[in-house]
Amino acid sequence: MGEIYVDGARCQGHARCWALAPETFEIDEEGYGKVIPGRENSGDELNVRKAIRNCPERAILERSDDEAPAKNEEVATS
Amino acid sequence: MSTEAERGIADNKPDFDFHGRALDNIFDEYEEILAKRPVGHSEKYGGFWYIAKSEDIFNAEQDPDTFAVGPSMILPSFGTDVPLIPIDIDPPAHSDFRKILLPMFTPMNIKKLEPGMKETARQLAEEVLSSGEVVDVSAKLARPMPTIIFSRLAGYPEEDWPIFDRWIDEIIYERTAKPETAYAAGRELNDYFDRLLDEREKAGPDAAKDDLIAQLMKAEVKGRKLTREELLSYCYLLFLAGLDTTAWAIRSALWYLAGNQKAQQQLRENPDMIPGAAEEFLRTLSPVQAMARTVKTDTVVQGQELKAGERVVLVFGAGNRDPEVYEEPNEIKIDRENNRHLAFGGGIHRCLGSNLGRAEMVIAMEEFLKAVPHFERANDAEPWHGVGPLTLKIGA
Repeated sequence: MGEIYVDGARCQGHARCWALAPETFEIDEEGYGKVIPGRENSGDELNVRKAIRNCPERAILERSDDEAPAKNEEVATS
Repeated sequence: MSTEAERGIADNKPDFDFHGRALDNIFDEYEEILAKRPVGHSEKYGGFWYIAKSEDIFNAEQDPDTFAVGPSMILPSFGTDVPLIPIDIDPPAHSDFRKILLPMFTPMNIKKLEPGMKETARQLAEEVLSSGEVVDVSAKLARPMPTIIFSRLAGYPEEDWPIFDRWIDEIIYERTAKPETAYAAGRELNDYFDRLLDEREKAGPDAAKDDLIAQLMKAEVKGRKLTREELLSYCYLLFLAGLDTTAWAIRSALWYLAGNQKAQQQLRENPDMIPGAAEEFLRTLSPVQAMARTVKTDTVVQGQELKAGERVVLVFGAGNRDPEVYEEPNEIKIDRENNRHLAFGGGIHRCLGSNLGRAEMVIAMEEFLKAVPHFERANDAEPWHGVGPLTLKIGA
């Protein structure tokens, strides 16, 4: 699995991701989930897969190649 | 234009109901409608289309422009015709009201309440144990625990607590059979909060008070304070949502465990399984079996036309037993891993108190199982649903 992220437009703050995989997800001051920086590649871990399957809003997504941060491209073009 | 007969209203489920005694056998009803008629029409409560499949409920909740909450998602009403804030408010006004209390209900904030919750649950569980061999644990634990915990969080003075159960019973549980009783209690509840807000205003801001009422009184929406009417509506909703649902959730979990000794013993020996079991009880025995919407623009679900202005009921309890989503959906498996249930709803109206409700449910089970070495049902006539008596035989 590629890099994962929490889609802020979908997340409604159920906090299931944080309950099931606190090593990968954190919760902001309004209760919305996000991936802890540096943990974007943990999508294959058991707890993270559980979190993905149990997210009521289906908000934990995998970045598709064209959406991926432009880091590599920048390196390639600079 | 299609006639009612063409739209299949005639051969629908005119008696479909999701309140009171209808809940006794509702899981059989869900199985039937999921298999034969996942969208159908009932003549109850002024008429509504029910939507039973998980995916259709999810899609409706994600689309508030087509499925609005106004005039109310509560059907029939909770003893008032005032729209309740924030659940009966549609975008764009909705999010400003909801945002006020979001920070109070984050898991981190709820964690701070946990030591107090544990102490309360432990005391109540010990009182159950010392009350004799046959005890109503609804009255002794499932109802008082959320009353104590939510009242402290919200700021309801302790001397007022004894009257709360009657308001809940009349507004929530008598509204279908005796709406006038629900409305009379609704007026009492509204007057109660009017007095409480008067007192709080007179006392002035108190830095030591960090309760929900304080948050609401100091909150601003679009650069202005909430009006008294808005404060009353918000308080009214919080009271009903914070006390009743959690009591039902705790009671239904204990109801199940009292009838299933193996599961009871498993959770007693493995308390780390309790949070997962709580999710399964929420999926299968949830206090919120359904919530209403109103169609804003004509749409089609499962081939069924729904017209603007028609009422729709999203039957979470049926969606939670949808065989397309859950293996053996009618089996309660306390170790179920895939459990993306609809008990707290979804989309912009996701239950604001879901993290609190879950914590109370888990802690109630933990402390009860720890304190009480064995319990079983003493009265098999008591239903799985509601907050009525749950009489248990308590033993060693």
